[in-house]
Amino acid sequence: MKGASNREAAVQVRNVSKAFGSTPVLRDINFAVEEGEIVVLLGASGSGKTTILRIISGLETQDEGSVAFDGRDVSQLPARLRSTGVIFQSYALFPKMSVEKNIGYGLRLRGRKKAEIDARVDELVRLVHLDEHRKKRPSQLSGGQQQRVAIARALAYEPEVLLFDEPFGALDAQIRTRLRREIRSLLKEIKVPSIFITHDQEEALELGDRIAVLNAGRIEQIGTPYEVYMYPQTEFVATFLGAANILVGTFESGSFRAGKIAIELGETELRFREGQSIKLVFRPEDVFLRKPDNRKQNYQNLSDAVIEEVSFVGAFERLQIRLETDERQQLIVTRPKTETSMNPLKEGDRVSTGVVRFRILPNFPLGSETAAKIV
Amino acid sequence: MSANLSNLRHTHGFDLVKPLSVAALVLMMLPLILLPLASIFIFGMSAGLDKFWDSLTAPDAIFALKLSIVTSFWATVFNIVFGLFAAYVLARYQFWGRNAIIVLISIPTAIPTAVAGFALLLLWGPYGLLGQYLSDEYRIMFTPYAIILANIFVTFPLAFGVIMPVLETMDRSLEEASATIGASRWQTFWHVTLPALRGAIVGGALLTFARSVGEFGSTILVSGNLSGRTQTAPLYIFAKFNEGQVEAANAIAVVLAVFSFIIFSILFFARDWLETE
Repeated sequence: MKGASNREAAVQVRNVSKAFGSTPVLRDINFAVEEGEIVVLLGASGSGKTTILRIISGLETQDEGSVAFDGRDVSQLPARLRSTGVIFQSYALFPKMSVEKNIGYGLRLRGRKKAEIDARVDELVRLVHLDEHRKKRPSQLSGGQQQRVAIARALAYEPEVLLFDEPFGALDAQIRTRLRREIRSLLKEIKVPSIFITHDQEEALELGDRIAVLNAGRIEQIGTPYEVYMYPQTEFVATFLGAANILVGTFESGSFRAGKIAIELGETELRFREGQSIKLVFRPEDVFLRKPDNRKQNYQNLSDAVIEEVSFVGAFERLQIRLETDERQQLIVTRPKTETSMNPLKEGDRVSTGVVRFRILPNFPLGSETAAKIV
Repeated sequence: MSANLSNLRHTHGFDLVKPLSVAALVLMMLPLILLPLASIFIFGMSAGLDKFWDSLTAPDAIFALKLSIVTSFWATVFNIVFGLFAAYVLARYQFWGRNAIIVLISIPTAIPTAVAGFALLLLWGPYGLLGQYLSDEYRIMFTPYAIILANIFVTFPLAFGVIMPVLETMDRSLEEASATIGASRWQTFWHVTLPALRGAIVGGALLTFARSVGEFGSTILVSGNLSGRTQTAPLYIFAKFNEGQVEAANAIAVVLAVFSFIIFSILFFARDWLETE
């Protein structure tokens, strides 16, 4: 959580649980969104992220827990009295109303004077760069333009929070990247607290001030993109947000040991029992490969290995290697172009491998991800 | 991408099957639909336009047309309001007996109209189940109200049948968006749901109205077929035909045929316009 302040969070979700029939979809969800902050709820489909959004907006009722805006409990209020701005995946623009009418809808419902509505609509069409399209019907606009109308429509009545339900899901890859930058800068300009839900990790890393990773109805980890990517607290987070290699071993006299492999652990990792089963988790880009005769000791040695497959994936090279240990574990390694041109490798080459940066997680044979959570 | 059927060919060069099949289609329609319709017009005009005009402007004929239009109008108003309400309730809520209600609403389509008229008589007639307890001034059988009641019964499922599928396939997020923006249930219905149903409502109304204007089987039983009092246009045609006044029957037949042609043209050509605008 960001610095302790006396001010209440713009949005506070406390101990929210929800089941559909006998199927639990959310378990004990807790998080806060600060004023002007963007929080991304990241999870696979079925992780419960949409349900959280619907509970915050009042379209769904939680079984337990509460939702508060600026310290005001809104748990019992119907959707229409909560003043949230929901941007639906389909945008849900009213097809029979023009852009202007769509944007002014919330103000008309609130019985504002025509002059006031006109002024606000003017301001908003300019903010979202739709000045020349204001008389058009939604069906005459592109996907990106429709989305901007949906945002302007939500902003018109000054909502407590903006809720984006997979807003880029219906757009193609190129437009998606451009739009999310546009929307992020727009949100930073207007400083309305926002919650995005997505299953796209790249989108989450780029959009969010903080990311909450959801798995099976629980928040596995919440933190800045850097924290969540660099210091994943569970195997799920490590593998869902980027790729990760995992080696299983034991904790022995301050080291991770798996057969011939011995990795010395830093002080922060020295909290395991002697002999406890632990996992070494590391990203493909954190593996070092060297020809065996060219060994430098600026990384922790794993073992010798054989290259099994080399493939080129856009900006980097991806290698599949097999360690020459008793277990013959397979690892995935990625290398930037600078590295591949200096030190080219091909299938069948023998290399020595090392790891630059890693995380240690306890290994529970049947343990759930939450049981494996270490904080 | 959908396949373009007109480009889907089994043969190269000139395809003889195409003109032959179109010709066969028209040929089949000729004795079944086209010639009967044509003969109404041919006979209607055969005695000259003056005679046609006289038949059309006879007081009883005008009364019959007016009565048909007025009773059909009120039956349509009722069935649109009811169909909208029923479709809304059945599309929005899941409850025990929902399917039974849908079947019940649809039943009048399958019941012969004479049976429908007879059923109404057995309920509201002077010796009917409820009718026997009514005092004379509240007896509605053999009055224009009975015609409205019969029209409502016979056209009951039409508007509902057009509105329900549109409501069921409507994007629910439109109504949810309206709610999060701050609309009450009624405001959402008025500003969002109803405009989306405009095409279906107009279509359902035209269908109900056209069907009501032509209703015969139930009307003849419940109206009493009293000339100048409870005789609708189709009953007028039947009565005049029985009296041997073929021109009089024909004139009204022409009007009804033209009328239904106009309504179905509107339905057919304006459907796209009604849906999108």
